[in-house]
Amino acid sequence: MKPRLAVVFLKEIRDALRDRRTALMILVASVLTGPVTLILVASFVSGLEERASTLRVRIAGAENAPALVNFLERADVEIEKAPSDYLARVKEGALDAVIVVPEDFHERWLAHEEARVELVHDDSRTESGPATRQAERLLAAFNRETAYLRLMARGVSPSLNESTKVERVNTATPRQRGAVLLFLIPMFGILAPLLGGMTVAIDSTAGERERGSLEPLLANPVPARVFAIGKWLASWASATAVVTLTMAGFLAAARLYAEKRLPSLLNFGVPELAAFLAVIVPLAAFTSALQLLISTYGRSYREAQTYVSYLATVASFVPLVVMFSGAKEQGWQLAVPVLGQLMVLQRVLRGDGLSSADALVPAAVALVLAGLAVAAVARLLRDERIVFGRA
Amino acid sequence: MIRVESLAKRFGAVQAVRDVTFEAADGRVTGLLGPNGAGKTTTLRMISTLVAPDAGRIEIDGIDPAREPLAARERLGLLSDARGLYARLTARENIAYYGELRGLGRDRIDAAIAAIAPQLELGPLLDRRTDGFSQGERMKVAIARALVHDPRNVVLDEPTNGLDVRSTRSLREAIRLLRESGKCVLFSSHVMQEVAALCDEIVIVAGGTVVAAGTPAAIRARAGCEDLEEAFVRLAGEPGDDR
Repeated sequence: MKPRLAVVFLKEIRDALRDRRTALMILVASVLTGPVTLILVASFVSGLEERASTLRVRIAGAENAPALVNFLERADVEIEKAPSDYLARVKEGALDAVIVVPEDFHERWLAHEEARVELVHDDSRTESGPATRQAERLLAAFNRETAYLRLMARGVSPSLNESTKVERVNTATPRQRGAVLLFLIPMFGILAPLLGGMTVAIDSTAGERERGSLEPLLANPVPARVFAIGKWLASWASATAVVTLTMAGFLAAARLYAEKRLPSLLNFGVPELAAFLAVIVPLAAFTSALQLLISTYGRSYREAQTYVSYLATVASFVPLVVMFSGAKEQGWQLAVPVLGQLMVLQRVLRGDGLSSADALVPAAVALVLAGLAVAAVARLLRDERIVFGRA
Repeated sequence: MIRVESLAKRFGAVQAVRDVTFEAADGRVTGLLGPNGAGKTTTLRMISTLVAPDAGRIEIDGIDPAREPLAARERLGLLSDARGLYARLTARENIAYYGELRGLGRDRIDAAIAAIAPQLELGPLLDRRTDGFSQGERMKVAIARALVHDPRNVVLDEPTNGLDVRSTRSLREAIRLLRESGKCVLFSSHVMQEVAALCDEIVIVAGGTVVAAGTPAAIRARAGCEDLEEAFVRLAGEPGDDR
């Protein structure tokens, strides 16, 4: 004789596995959303770096600035002649930045007068930023060299011209840069259990009511809490499966694609996968329980789906709020579901070590809240108004 | 044996059950007869422990469901008002789920299904998913599900609703078999002929109150007419029809 809890759990799992909605959701969640987004982001980001990493400038009127051209050639910069309609091209985004040299440039330069060039770019296009900054840096370097040589010629120490020498030290390790860009992975990590637990949670509560199978079910000599726990475990299992698949999808995408293009961007390997699961699976316990509780109030699948989608909306706002408000990480945030997990996941991606509080506090909070929600579901299942629709 | 004493239940402004008292004995078929809204379903829900009565007592084989709901449910087989099935499970899986919930092993469930299936002409349906079953087919599966654990007491809420003539006959046959094996069968109906064809005892409920109870002959005598249907209409129309 199987324990009743196992009977309930296995029935719900079998039912869910035969549900086309489950299959579709798993496909969308695990195969499409995560990895596809990742690949798009990775190729976008690596595209940015690629544009900037080959040194190339476009110049209109290069013949007016032989000294500049000479400098650039020595610096191994590829010089391209800009087309005559460069203004329009920059505007439409076909060109990133164009250095425009006026006809009198060389004369003025030789005469040690102020020689102007124009740097044409479109500030509203973020993707043109690296190329623009690169052109600026090259012009500044040319300036420095010219000044250096002129000062030397006059017997003045070139360091006079540069009272402060700026050397850039970027403290962001490549990994951290990746984590900033891949804000998305934690976000999908948070959303995956919501997506994964939803169908089972709704179908096993509001769905039972809608089908009229809840009343006979509860007439069985099984305590309501066994049904509540069994249904919760089934929906947690489904959420966990989707989380695992989504994360495995990220891992595969990181391995197959992003690592080749951009090894610095994505350090998402097996240890990160394990850390993610350790953080998200307890969260999934809570989200599934909450979904179960919310759907128990729904009279129909549709109605419950509406309620549950509010939950997903709220949860997906949290990462956005954190991202845009620039909220500082604080201890208490660890104890807030979703927020705490998000913090810890970002630390994982940044390659920071996790303290035991990081690992345990969010999980403990999630499991306690899950327990409370399941207890509430068990209560509702004993409530006449819930079982027999709203009187 | 199911005994019900002075049951009452109110839902908000509606007094669904006012005062219901009757006894359904073992080896007999008791029919709860009454018009729609008479309080039959609420009474059966209270017996099956799904709704708590405001007042009154219930006894199922001497067990008080208010105190021991699980033990009371053990002794009941219930075809409730709602009789939904799981559309993605086969008929057999639907029945077996309830068997497992009642703690039966695989062998006993298989044996029970093998015994019930021919009575209800379920055979060809057993291994099909219930999605797309007709109302009558669904009803048969729901009845089989209620009987899988061979309960001492069988409570059926409007069991012939949606059944065609042939299925109704096989259901009647199944109910007679239950009576012969000494079970207590309590079923509700608003169809006079149904009750007349099957019942040893009739309890007529109207407006939440029992207006008459007894054998069909006693009911006829009390109403003072030969026709049971006429008797039903006269008796059911009597007091407290406030809905």
